[in-house]
Amino acid sequence: MSDTEVRAQLREIFRREGLGDSTTVLQLLSQLIPESLQEEWLDQMAEADKKGCPESFVDSLPRVPKSEISPSSSCSICYVNYLNDGYPLVVRLPHCGHDFDLECLSVWFSKSTSCPLCRDDVLSHRAEVDTSQVELEEDWGMYG
Amino acid sequence: MASLPKRIIKETERLVSDPVPGITAEPHEDNLRYFQVTIEGPQQSPYENGVFNLELFLPDDYPMEAPKVRFLTKIYHPNIDKLGRICLDVLKTNWSPALQIRTVLLSVQALLASPNPNDPLANDVAEDWIKDEEGAIKTAREWTEAYASKKDQKSTN
Repeated sequence: MSDTEVRAQLREIFRREGLGDSTTVLQLLSQLIPESLQEEWLDQMAEADKKGCPESFVDSLPRVPKSEISPSSSCSICYVNYLNDGYPLVVRLPHCGHDFDLECLSVWFSKSTSCPLCRDDVLSHRAEVDTSQVELEEDWGMYG
Repeated sequence: MASLPKRIIKETERLVSDPVPGITAEPHEDNLRYFQVTIEGPQQSPYENGVFNLELFLPDDYPMEAPKVRFLTKIYHPNIDKLGRICLDVLKTNWSPALQIRTVLLSVQALLASPNPNDPLANDVAEDWIKDEEGAIKTAREWTEAYASKKDQKSTN
């Protein structure tokens, strides 16, 4: 059904019964929303139900290079020294600057949105973090 | 039993080598996730001179999930109910995996020093506390003497 046809049908329903049969109206209205946008909204609603951070947020966290990890520092979730692992996967929260093992933090962020050390709500700064990181990832992803 | 995470081993070692003043926590021989805990009542609180027994259990998901802590000694406190369950934010919604057995037990000790009748778990105790604080504190002191006195604990142990 084209947008014009949907609009015509909506007008017809309103003329006949006002806002009476809301199910039909909603079904018709939803046809006016592009499918890609509908999917995005459904995804967002599903993520909001989950309580934790979206996986895309955890994936976009900046890594701490091995050269910057001090020999004495360890993850405050598992207590294991970062450099015990030859290839440490350490991430830094962009706003408060606290470091954790990616593996430990991603488990915590699957059910929470606060920094384990300072309780900063990491998603409250999401917009600024996400846009920059997402662009970067797409650039790499294309040829990576 | 699955092997004990390194974190739990480290925490246990530190609880023994560098104990918190007024608090003891010892893992059970058969189950290293189950701790027998004692907390001394803070000075200048109605629980002063009392020693309270608690149990602490580390669930499989620890430290992603908070330890389960319960008073075994009877106590008159607005945030601790008859079954010894404790109403404390860090044990529920404010848990963070960067907290530890040590910090949790310090929070419990702090709760003894400052009861909060406006966020009660034991409703009848909280009501008494709000209506007649002086009387409630007196009762708390009597219960401490009756159920948590140091002398009694020594003779029964």
